[in-house]
Amino acid sequence: MTHKILVVDDDNDLREMVGLVLSSAGYEPIYVADGAVALETFERTNPDLVLLDIMLPGKDGIQVCREIRAVSGVPIIMLTARSDTDDIVRGLEVGADDYIVKPHRGAELVARIRARLRPLSSETGVLQIGPLTLDVEAHEVKRDGEIVLLTPLEFSLLFTLGSKPKQVFSREMLLKEVWNYPMKPEAQYKPDTRLVNVHVQRLRAKVEQDPDNPKIVLTVRGVGYKAGTDSN
Amino acid sequence: MFSLLRRSLQARAVFATIALTSIAMITLGGFLSYALSDGLYRARLEQVLEETERAVASVQDTVSAASLTDETAMQSLLNSIVPTLEIRGTNESRQVALLRSPDQPQLQLLQSPISADLDLNSIPEELRSQVRQSESTLSYTSVALIRQGVTSPGITVGAPLDIPLAGMFELYLVYDLSSEQQTLDFVQQVLAWGGAILIAVISIVSYTVTWRIVKPVESAASVAEQIAAGQLGERLVERGSDVVAKLAHSFNRMASTLQNQIQQLDELSQTQRRFVSDVSHELRTPMTTIKLAGEVIFTNREQLDPALRRSAELLQNQVNRFEALLVDLLEISKYDAGVVQPEFELQDLNHVVGLAIANIEPLAMSKGTSISIELPDGPVEAEFDSRRIERVLRNLLSNAVEHAEGKPIRVQVGANSNAVAVCVTDQGVGMTKQQIEHVFDRFWRADPSRQRSVGGTGLGLAISKEDTTLHRGWLQVWAKPGKGASFRVTLPRYRDSVIANSPLPMPPKSKTAGVDT
Repeated sequence: MTHKILVVDDDNDLREMVGLVLSSAGYEPIYVADGAVALETFERTNPDLVLLDIMLPGKDGIQVCREIRAVSGVPIIMLTARSDTDDIVRGLEVGADDYIVKPHRGAELVARIRARLRPLSSETGVLQIGPLTLDVEAHEVKRDGEIVLLTPLEFSLLFTLGSKPKQVFSREMLLKEVWNYPMKPEAQYKPDTRLVNVHVQRLRAKVEQDPDNPKIVLTVRGVGYKAGTDSN
Repeated sequence: MFSLLRRSLQARAVFATIALTSIAMITLGGFLSYALSDGLYRARLEQVLEETERAVASVQDTVSAASLTDETAMQSLLNSIVPTLEIRGTNESRQVALLRSPDQPQLQLLQSPISADLDLNSIPEELRSQVRQSESTLSYTSVALIRQGVTSPGITVGAPLDIPLAGMFELYLVYDLSSEQQTLDFVQQVLAWGGAILIAVISIVSYTVTWRIVKPVESAASVAEQIAAGQLGERLVERGSDVVAKLAHSFNRMASTLQNQIQQLDELSQTQRRFVSDVSHELRTPMTTIKLAGEVIFTNREQLDPALRRSAELLQNQVNRFEALLVDLLEISKYDAGVVQPEFELQDLNHVVGLAIANIEPLAMSKGTSISIELPDGPVEAEFDSRRIERVLRNLLSNAVEHAEGKPIRVQVGANSNAVAVCVTDQGVGMTKQQIEHVFDRFWRADPSRQRSVGGTGLGLAISKEDTTLHRGWLQVWAKPGKGASFRVTLPRYRDSVIANSPLPMPPKSKTAGVDT
């Protein structure tokens, strides 16, 4: 099955080039040049992943991300020329799963996409984390019988923590398990622990009763995170 | 009190005025007091001597004229002298003593009459001997009279008397100077009060006068402080046309000029910042396209004929080089524009060192260079920006591998209470003193003809230096030509630590025998 990838970028040449790279990697690129039509194209074509340039003229990438996130848990990877903290964190907060800084290697881009499109696990069964019930095969999370909507990435994060409740996961470990970092040793920039921080926050906002006093996704100071196992 | 004097100009002026005035008043008062006291004494003395002379003469005449043969009669006569001469009064008093001279050949037949409450201590022995030797002139001395516990000054005057039948007598008149003393006391009191009031008045005057001067200076100082704190719009009030107003006017002009300059610089800095971020975005997008295109061609170069293949390889090399240069340039321009925001986090330095070494390992292995690591026992906890410090370490390691000439590289980590340090040492080509001086310059090459296998934008050490400076740390180098080079990064342990000394020595001490340095 060929995965469809929506490429949203206003630079014509770059868009085409990315498309070429994706095609030769076995994906089917769908092009969007303008943020205004991004959502509509998304709903029409139903891609498996979205590559989204943050700096778009007109309707900006952050807004597009928000809109797509509101209707779908599809993996979204931000493309950004800026490595400033604020932009990236903002993008992650509104729903992006990962980001890649221009200029980037084609191989890196493809590896990132592959990581997001990787099937979560071949496990079946039910995992209990506190008051949450994870149906692994269906990728569904229920709390007291009610479904909690998580993106695949959020589910993956929760699942990783919950499948080894005694283990404390450092941010690097989570980056490796969930985001599939590090890619190559000569990676241009060091994988970013902000990815983990923001996603933990997003996860908490969705699954915790009180996100400021988390009971399910616990912080272990100076080390990382782990799953809370008492159900209350 | 001394801190008040140190701080306040006004306090010092007032204090100086009070001090000087007091000294002047005390000196003047003291002088006046002395002069008055002396004058009063002399006047009284003259009077006293005159009176006594008359008294003595009169007594001598009386005694000589009275041709008495009877001792009893003589005694009565003598006794009558004392009351005659005595004066008892509140303002003036005079006591009398008629004493017989000792050591006389005649028998003592007659008594020496004295005033009733006369204290014989008021007639000292020295005076008596003086009187006896004087024959006919007066002798006097000043004495202290103690009456009812009160001491007052007095003068005792004496003269010899020759009394027929009785022998040599001495007549003493003791004068009480207490009224003079009272006068003197009164004047002194008036002087003291007057002086005190004068000092007080002068202090108030000096306080008021200095206040008028100091107040504008103080207000100028406080406005200057406000401006220094960032409130560039503050100004002094200009009132009148005296020198204080002139000061205020000049000050305000200076402040306005400064404010304009600062605003201009701010705007310039903003423009620069925007430029940096705009350029950053603008350059990166086409760069990505070029890179991706170059990659695709490079990946498929086997399909091309030799000339095209080679072109694809060269293109790829240059694209990579260009990209590295671009990244470094943008990084260093961020430092120049002052827009760098470091992210300090408490973490283990060993871990970051490990990551950097792992990163460089493939290159090191390809050159046959081994890397030995010396870490302290246990984690090295410190507060730093891991992305930047890892970049610094990668830069130092890559430089070391490039210049090691295959010989082993040594990485040491050290820590003390204030600082942490990493030292990367190679034993390769080394550097001369002159080269060391320029090693952190931008785009400076020690040996331009040298071929680098990796990286080499010319900005690596410059950026490393900026990153270290951002942490308020040190980046130092030690090298000897042909022996190798050692680069040491020292960072404050925590955000607010101050490095006292680096935990690793420079030049590095060798742990194994037979190694260089």
